[in-house]
Amino acid sequence: MRFTTARSRLWGLLRAAIPFLIIGLLSGCLLPPEPKTETAKDVFGLYVAVLVMGGIVFLGVEGFIVYAVVRYRRKPGDDQLPPQVHGNTMVEIIWTAIPTVIVLILFVISTITLNAVEARSAKPGVTVEATGFQWQWRFRYLDSDNNPKNDAVVNGTAANPPVMRLPVGEPIRVILPSLDVIHSFFVPQFLIKRDVVPVGENGTPNELEFTISEEGTYTGQCAEFCGLQHANMTFAIQAMTRAKYDQWLKVAKSGATPAPSAAPNATVIKLSATGTKFSTDRIQVPAGQPFVIRFEITDGQNHNVAVLKGGQVLFAGEIFQGPGVREYQVPALPAGEYQFQCQVHPVMTGTIVAGP
Amino acid sequence: MATTTLNPRAETYQRSWVLDWLTTVDHKKIGILYIVNSFFFFFAAGILALVIRSELAVPGLQFLDEATYNQAFTMHGTIMIFLFIVPVLSGFANYIVPLMLGAPDMAFPRINALSFWLLPVGGLLIFSGYLFGGAAAEGWTGYNPLTQAKYSPGPGTDLWLIGLTLVGTASILGSINFIATIFKMRAPGMTLFRMPIFVWTVLVTAVLILLATPVFTAGLIALFIDRNYGGSFFDPNVGGSPILWQHIFWFFGHPEVYIVILPAMGVVSEVLPVFSRKPLFGYRAFVFATVGIGLLSFSVWAHHMFTTGFVFLPFFSFMTALIAVPTGVKFFNWMATLWRGKLSLTTPMLFALGFLSMFLIGGLSGVMLSSPAVDFHLQDTYFVVAHLHYVFFGGSVFGVFAATYYWFPKMTGRKLNEGLGKVHFWMHFIGFNLAFFPMHQLGISGMPRRVADYSPDAGWTILNSMSTAGAFLIAASIFPFLINVVATFINGERAGDDPWEGNTLEWATSSPPPPYNFDRLPPIHSERPLFFLTHGHGHAADRPADVDEKPEDDVQRRGGAA
Amino acid sequence: MTTAELQRVELPPPGRGRHEAGLPTPLVGMLLFIASEVMFFGGLFAAYFNARAAHAGAWHPPEGGELDMPLAAVLTAILVSSSFTMQFGVAAIRRGDQRGLRMWVGLTLVLGVLFLLGQLYDYSRLGFGIGDGIFGTTFYTLTGFHGAHVFGGAVGLTIMLARALQGQFSTANHVAVEAVSIYWHFVDVVWIALFTTIYILR
Repeated sequence: MRFTTARSRLWGLLRAAIPFLIIGLLSGCLLPPEPKTETAKDVFGLYVAVLVMGGIVFLGVEGFIVYAVVRYRRKPGDDQLPPQVHGNTMVEIIWTAIPTVIVLILFVISTITLNAVEARSAKPGVTVEATGFQWQWRFRYLDSDNNPKNDAVVNGTAANPPVMRLPVGEPIRVILPSLDVIHSFFVPQFLIKRDVVPVGENGTPNELEFTISEEGTYTGQCAEFCGLQHANMTFAIQAMTRAKYDQWLKVAKSGATPAPSAAPNATVIKLSATGTKFSTDRIQVPAGQPFVIRFEITDGQNHNVAVLKGGQVLFAGEIFQGPGVREYQVPALPAGEYQFQCQVHPVMTGTIVAGP
Repeated sequence: MATTTLNPRAETYQRSWVLDWLTTVDHKKIGILYIVNSFFFFFAAGILALVIRSELAVPGLQFLDEATYNQAFTMHGTIMIFLFIVPVLSGFANYIVPLMLGAPDMAFPRINALSFWLLPVGGLLIFSGYLFGGAAAEGWTGYNPLTQAKYSPGPGTDLWLIGLTLVGTASILGSINFIATIFKMRAPGMTLFRMPIFVWTVLVTAVLILLATPVFTAGLIALFIDRNYGGSFFDPNVGGSPILWQHIFWFFGHPEVYIVILPAMGVVSEVLPVFSRKPLFGYRAFVFATVGIGLLSFSVWAHHMFTTGFVFLPFFSFMTALIAVPTGVKFFNWMATLWRGKLSLTTPMLFALGFLSMFLIGGLSGVMLSSPAVDFHLQDTYFVVAHLHYVFFGGSVFGVFAATYYWFPKMTGRKLNEGLGKVHFWMHFIGFNLAFFPMHQLGISGMPRRVADYSPDAGWTILNSMSTAGAFLIAASIFPFLINVVATFINGERAGDDPWEGNTLEWATSSPPPPYNFDRLPPIHSERPLFFLTHGHGHAADRPADVDEKPEDDVQRRGGAA
Repeated sequence: MTTAELQRVELPPPGRGRHEAGLPTPLVGMLLFIASEVMFFGGLFAAYFNARAAHAGAWHPPEGGELDMPLAAVLTAILVSSSFTMQFGVAAIRRGDQRGLRMWVGLTLVLGVLFLLGQLYDYSRLGFGIGDGIFGTTFYTLTGFHGAHVFGGAVGLTIMLARALQGQFSTANHVAVEAVSIYWHFVDVVWIALFTTIYILR
């Protein structure tokens, strides 16, 4: 395209800019979600400051490039050399010094916000152990009695991700152990994440602390690639008043399912699970009779066994954390083929044949 | 159009074309082998990108299962970085650096050939995982414990480790070659501060490769030992540390990204002055900035690890922000080169200007990530994916295309068609921004990276679809480029020694050069030896003090249409 | 441009850089290669120190295993002596003494092979393997890769010996011997660092 006047060159440039304006407008305002914790507000403010600084530099430099392309275009037939300027020491010193100062300012404001984010309160309102494992979360509410048996535990399945209920307005401490690989505890509306790192017997897992400022439900997701089902490792945080939270906690703590009585002479199928594998992918049971699955989990993860036919769940055993054993009382199945599956790890499947 | 060489096709003895290319130790042929091989891997990894973007266009798993998706993004990243971008820049360096130095070849020609041939072997090994139960699928960063045998069984990851070790060895051997060549084989008169900027960037890049890559090799071997010999390096349950892997990886990984960008910056620093008809503003400052970036690059690695909870945040945050200063200096130098110049918007110039615009965005998003508190929100989201593509693709790949259009005439004797080049550029530029700019917003609103699927309720669908459209536009833009290359080989416009009115020595010999590179060298008194020859009276700084100004010295040189 | 306008340039003799006073190009290459190897061992040492620092409790071989300090000290003596013999060989060829070169290079090679055999003997008696916890892994990886580098050096020495026996070296032309000698000293220095770190500092 040949332009002879500066105006038509400018017009050509504007036409070229249209696709970028469209992209830019559709791409959104470049602002994070509205912050829902106290420190998230600080981070939001810092982010805006950095974005504005970057925006000014962007407009300045990009604007200059556009200007230069328009203004300094070589005219056809012009063989004259432009002034051959090799450098200018004073200018170069200035444009080295000013960015250095800007960088220092950036570092200072950044450190101030970082200290706010990393501050730890002497006494958090709630302490939750959020354990990550392939590919689910388990939330255990720690109380001060050092007795894990009466802690409230929230388990999740692929179909029903776990919900961490918390009171607003109080510091919440989250402890982040991993049972296997590195995961990451990320809540976009809190503008924060922290890696969930396996640390071995003698190590200390990471911790995170925040104070939620508004009631609501906030989604979270694993943010460190952890294998096959990384994309499905979601959870939610539900923030409510202290009163409602206490109410929920009382119910959650006492909710121990009574052990069902075993039918006499029932067939006992032994099944175990570790990692993301069952010990077998085929079980034979007598048709028309209730039977027992003696289910052993040999690693530290959550598993269960559910029985399905055609995608419909006929029986779902209690999800529990290994290592340990539970006996599932499974109701009678008419003759035919069924599927069994771990609802925490839907890749773990097998076939049940109920026969004569 | 006068050629300057005595016998462009002088060979020591005749042999078949195939055998010649397979056994060559000529840096020019090896450079072309590097470039062609790299483009094959570029297309392979590009197809993987299309696969990824097709799956992510709308929520739900339409084409792939999770396992295939995870292999796709792992292979995409690994191949793009190790088998495309580093080798293709190495290929241009291989071809051009000896010419720019006025040297007849590299210091160690046979090791040069070995460096090249290790690449297709390494690349095929990495890909061969697909034939043995699945390629590596843990991300190009291969974090532990995910890459331990327990969580990633099968030979795919082992083949990845071995392939990368070979590729790393090739890089290290190449870096030794470049450093030795640059220090020992410069033409008389070419002091270090008269070398072209491209050579400086290749020198610093080579030093980074020399010092950083072996650390990565150590890590790869350690992981191989963990996976296959019961080693305990990275398994926390037996006394190892997964964070150690990240330290080893990123101690290499961060210099690696400067290895990827510095030669592209060098290309831009050659192209902008030629097509502005002015020298690069602030040559010395540029050299110091390049060396400064090289040194600083070893001090910032843990900014990739801010969210692990195991690094000393203030130090790494400070050093990362600091590295923006020499980068900014370079930007100002480039801008001042354009200032009051006379710009010709040829295709190489368009790609160089595109580099400036896109790398600016990538650099600014990087500065945002340098703040740990902000990084806590943005790490491992699509914001990082946007950032890395703006610097790798908007930066290095634009630099690669600038180099391709700029030096194609030198390598083949023919100029690529400008019309098709401009079509390629605009499709590429628009497609690139359409594909990657929306990713900033996706990450800011919380979409994590390396996910095969996402929730339809998250509000991420439109931006993902836009991004997929952009990816296909980039793919489409390759067609005018390929058609251009083929058509130019068949019947393209012939180029003489110096079709662009270049400044540096590669333009002082025929296109393509003879095997021995130069019959004669011009006098070297500045970083623009050819500029003086053409425009002797142009500027005092380019003119040697001891040359009398006689009319017959005023030589009009036109090596072909500008 | 016509060829007349270009200044005729005298190219320097092949194999030598532009600066006659500088290092010969093959030595530059070897020094750069050694720099990369320093970084390689640096990565392995970093893993060792990281594991050691993070290790709760005493740092020692696993149950039933024990480090053989006297044997390691003997190996150290062998390798350090071999550096001396290597340097004597370099001095010999610098003054044109072909016989001396062959003798000293041969002796260096013998000492190098002795070192390797001693290392293998040590491995066979240690009582723990590379898969036996973090101590075993780091021990075998570090000493094993060092041994591999000694082996590479032994191959280089063999080639030097063969070429020396054919009379290929002279005062003016023996840069390969210098290069191999630098490599050999490097391998020795790495061993001293290893010995100090693993056996003395523990």
